[in-house]
Amino acid sequence: MRQTARLTALLLRAYLRDRIALFFSLVVPLMLMVIFGYLNLGDFGRVSLAVDDQAKNDASKQLLSLLKGIETLQITEESTDEALKRLRRTELDVLVVIPKDFAIAPARPGQTVPQLVVYGDDARPQQVVVGRQIIAQVIDRLSFAVTQTAPVVAVKDETVQGVRLRYVDFLVPGILGVNIMQLAVFSVAFALVGDKQRGVLRRIMATPVRIPNLLAAHVVTRLFIAAGQVAVLLLVALVLFNVTIVGGLGALVVVALLGTILFLTIGFALAGWAQSENQVPAIAQLITLPQFFFSGVFFSKNAAPEAIRPITNLLPLTFLNDALREISVQGASLWDVRTQILGLLVWIVLGFVLAVRLFRFERF
Amino acid sequence: MPPVVQVNNLRKRYGEIEAVRGISFQVETGEVFGLLGPNGAGKTTTVEILEGLRKADDGSAVVAGVDVFADPSLVKRRIGVQLQASAFPENLTAKETVEFFAACYDLDVDALALLRLVELEERAGQRQETLSGGQRQRLSLATALVNSPQVLFLDEPTTGLDPQARRNLWDLIRGIQSRGTTVFLTTHYLDEAEILCERVAIMDEGRIVALDPPRKLIDDLLARGFSKPVLRQRANLEDVFLDLTGHQLRDA
Ligand SMILES: Nc1ncnc2c1ncn2[C@@H]1O[C@H](COP(=O)(O)OP(=O)(O)OP(=O)(O)O)[C@@H](O)[C@H]1O
Ligand SMILES: [Mg+2]
Repeated sequence: MRQTARLTALLLRAYLRDRIALFFSLVVPLMLMVIFGYLNLGDFGRVSLAVDDQAKNDASKQLLSLLKGIETLQITEESTDEALKRLRRTELDVLVVIPKDFAIAPARPGQTVPQLVVYGDDARPQQVVVGRQIIAQVIDRLSFAVTQTAPVVAVKDETVQGVRLRYVDFLVPGILGVNIMQLAVFSVAFALVGDKQRGVLRRIMATPVRIPNLLAAHVVTRLFIAAGQVAVLLLVALVLFNVTIVGGLGALVVVALLGTILFLTIGFALAGWAQSENQVPAIAQLITLPQFFFSGVFFSKNAAPEAIRPITNLLPLTFLNDALREISVQGASLWDVRTQILGLLVWIVLGFVLAVRLFRFERF
Repeated sequence: MPPVVQVNNLRKRYGEIEAVRGISFQVETGEVFGLLGPNGAGKTTTVEILEGLRKADDGSAVVAGVDVFADPSLVKRRIGVQLQASAFPENLTAKETVEFFAACYDLDVDALALLRLVELEERAGQRQETLSGGQRQRLSLATALVNSPQVLFLDEPTTGLDPQARRNLWDLIRGIQSRGTTVFLTTHYLDEAEILCERVAIMDEGRIVALDPPRKLIDDLLARGFSKPVLRQRANLEDVFLDLTGHQLRDA
């Protein structure tokens, strides 16, 4: 414990002294945040629309299939309760409820016309307007085909208060996640392969230092650095972009640290495997780049091609980003993101086994 | 006093190369012992086996009363080392470097006092990687002394140093010896061995071909009828160099 603390203090001091590395490790994520945040690069044009089909008859099926044929809509079917929840979190733009008595038939005197209820998220006004217009047109077309007259279905508009999620709110947790990955993998791999090549590790191994303590010192040093970086990035996000963080900062930090540990194990495994500093960037890119694109950093992870989604959904960074995002954007608690935390823990165990296999201090 | 290093029939091979071919010798407590030999003779291999850093294939070695193969960690506690090729962690000052190694031994030391001992006190706050070669070698000596070792292993401590720095390092080594530490060093410089070592072992192709006090090795050679073809010079270029540039250390 005391040994770990002393070694950590010295390693941390050395790390902080490397101003240039420190600077660049912050500049890149900040640049990404500014570029993507200001340009709103990830704001997509599609309207996500949920349908709760309570009628389940021919008429409702006809309506549904017409809606599904429209390019701008992203349709899911779900219950009203579920959809309203998602609407409030701004995961959905519009919800259409098809009533039990839904029919497309000429109106008969004395009978009320079936009424569609359309809920729109007030945080996404443009998408809601587009969604409502499309629905109105579809209803018109259906009515016209049957009666050549006025609409036979009434549409009632409702508004739901969603969190005002802007693209940058979505983006910031992704930037945090990717930054944690880069910091942990690259910093530990470069530093330790360098130490290995220059004979630093050999010199240390000539002392009776307890290896778990030395390892712990390296890990704790990076945890401090990662915590500092997360703090700086969050501060910039809050000041520059006025980002809303709904969930608890504590939960965010816990997940961030878990993610750091996870990627550190990968960094150690890489450092153990690589023979020279030149091999580090190539392999590190190979590990990090797919996650950069497919783990939902800049765009929804569902932007990945459907065929590979079963794999991309299991990537370490996907778990990390999902957890960070749910906490930050939707106010989830640690318990709410337990699935993702479990995913992170499984990866930590895998990474640890790999690191122990590949990184043997005794060999230096 | 029993010998502080006892080596018996030590062997080490790297694939096809037999680097150490069954050597046996002892180092007496308190002496400065030199291991001499051309490049590739097997000196570093031998020293690093004794330091618990490499595994031998056969034989036995007891260092500071500990069987090296049975308990390398305990041996490491009792010895100090300076490796032939190694470096210190980056971005630490000289003082922090000493503190880092003290932490590795889990000991509290007066880092400044150790730096003073190797005449590096003024450089305490300077980054380790910006030190000159001679200064770094002295820092290395300071880090090897943090645990007050019984035996100090120095693998080519003066290679790459200027004549002043070499002489300074000899003085430091003598000072360390006078405080009761046994010194085991390797070198290519025969004058160094002659001046510094009580006894030297000469190693070639993995074998020890001679082991005696330097004076005795020379006398034996002369007794075999050896004589140099030319008369010994009364001064050499090194004497000229030292005369022109003085004896005091340049990068103190
Ligand atoms: N790790 C290794 N793997 C393979 N061969 C090695 C290894 N270390 C040393 N050798 C070989 O063993 C022999 C002895 O090497 P060693 O380093 O012990 O020599 P040395 O006497 O210290 O030489 P020098 O004076 O150049 O330092 C050499 O032929 C060397 O190439
Ligand atoms: Mg050598």
